[in-house]
Amino acid sequence: MIRLINVTKHYPGRHHVLREVNLHLRKGEMALLTGPSGAGKSTLLKMLLRLEGVSNGTLMVNGVDLATLKRRHIPAYRRRIGVVFQDHKLLMDRDLFANVALTLQVAGLPARQVQSRVRAALDKVGLGDRLREYPATLSGGEQQRVGIARAIVHTPEILLADEPTGNLDPRLSNEILDLFRDFHHHGTTVLIATHDQGQIDRLGLPVLRLEGGRLHTPEDYQ
Amino acid sequence: MNLHIRIEAARNALSALGRQPISTAMTILALAIVIALPVGLFTVLTNMENLLGSWRNQAQISLFLHKDASPQAINRLQHTLAKTEGVVGVRYVSADAALAEFQKHSGMVAAIRTLGENPLPASFVVQLDPLRYPPSALQQLISHWAQDPAVATAQSDLHWVARLQAILALGQRAALILAVLLALGAVLVMGNTIRLHIAQRRDEIDVASLVGATRAFIRRPFLYQGLLQGAVAGLVAWGIVVAAFYWLQGPVDRVSALYGTQFSLVALTPEQGAVLVIASALLGWLGSLLAVGRHLDHTFA
Repeated sequence: MIRLINVTKHYPGRHHVLREVNLHLRKGEMALLTGPSGAGKSTLLKMLLRLEGVSNGTLMVNGVDLATLKRRHIPAYRRRIGVVFQDHKLLMDRDLFANVALTLQVAGLPARQVQSRVRAALDKVGLGDRLREYPATLSGGEQQRVGIARAIVHTPEILLADEPTGNLDPRLSNEILDLFRDFHHHGTTVLIATHDQGQIDRLGLPVLRLEGGRLHTPEDYQ
Repeated sequence: MNLHIRIEAARNALSALGRQPISTAMTILALAIVIALPVGLFTVLTNMENLLGSWRNQAQISLFLHKDASPQAINRLQHTLAKTEGVVGVRYVSADAALAEFQKHSGMVAAIRTLGENPLPASFVVQLDPLRYPPSALQQLISHWAQDPAVATAQSDLHWVARLQAILALGQRAALILAVLLALGAVLVMGNTIRLHIAQRRDEIDVASLVGATRAFIRRPFLYQGLLQGAVAGLVAWGIVVAAFYWLQGPVDRVSALYGTQFSLVALTPEQGAVLVIASALLGWLGSLLAVGRHLDHTFA
């Protein structure tokens, strides 16, 4: 599903962020991407979202080499991925329904389908009865749940999360990560970037560790 | 393209405009003024042309004939004159008729009787459409008729028409330059407004892009905003021109009464108004297209 072969990323005039990274994450697998701040976790996720290009090597998702993906095909590619951010990236002037609906609207779904699927997604994260509330009225954990609902409403093949529990207390973090596990059990490939050691120990998931631009992975993820 | 996506984009555009009513109203008013200026000028010039046209029957040339001009030569000349393009009327005034008219208007009956014979020549009074010929062609036409063997002298009162025509042509050219410059101004005003809207909705654009929105999807509400604001500005500009002409009609009535005539100003016909609204909407759309295009080049780089 996600395959990196000798992927290197560097910015002009700066050090290498990633050096000859190799990874093979298969369909339906779930893994944690860890490492200290600045290790390149976010850069790797941005490359998977095709927000950043690869300097060298090959990055393939579902058999598509992202380096050769044409600009006009990027939106369609992104619609197959769900993404959750540490800062939620919610639109504060839109209610919860509108925030989650955006993912389906960009895909051109008719209003009736948008209605039912947004309700189902918000139900799944426990906010089905608060459709018309605005993000500012929610707690941090609830805002993150809305972010997750927006990421899974279109049933993506891959779910990426960048420090999704970074601003949450341990109890809320557990709830959020349990949601990810739930989606994983339904067949979604999940990659979560986190540096929360407590969660890493608790979840018992394969750990991909980035350090000094190198990725250390269990052998069968090479 | 699904209609519901366009409807949603239009709703999005309306809601964005509605969220900032004062800013929206100011943009529309600024655009309307920019558009109303050249449109108003064009309309004034059109009215002047109409006025010139209404005076066409007063634009005439008198061709005084030689006393010994034969009836055949006079007939041939009359035929030539009537066939000439732009001639709206030819009237033959015999020497006797001229004398009778002179006596009637001058009251110098006794003085003329002392001359013994009629000193006035026969003539043709040729009425011309002054808009048919440019000033130089008009002069050539008069010279051409003056060379006819039957004609002794040609007298024209068309010089003022020619001058007015030249001034109108100059005004039209100036109005065209002004229109082009102000249309560019309208595009820039709209571009700048949309740029501000884009800056305010940057988060939304970024999130939409992350969840797979195409350029067209992101661009559409902004284009609709430009189109809508441009169309409303066109309507307001139309209203401004009509109101200004209504306000001017009183003074125009007084001036025309002094000249013993009647002249009604015509602001804009419904067809011209419709063209104005459509053109204005397109200017708004173009301004948005340029602004949003530049922004998306960065987003999708």
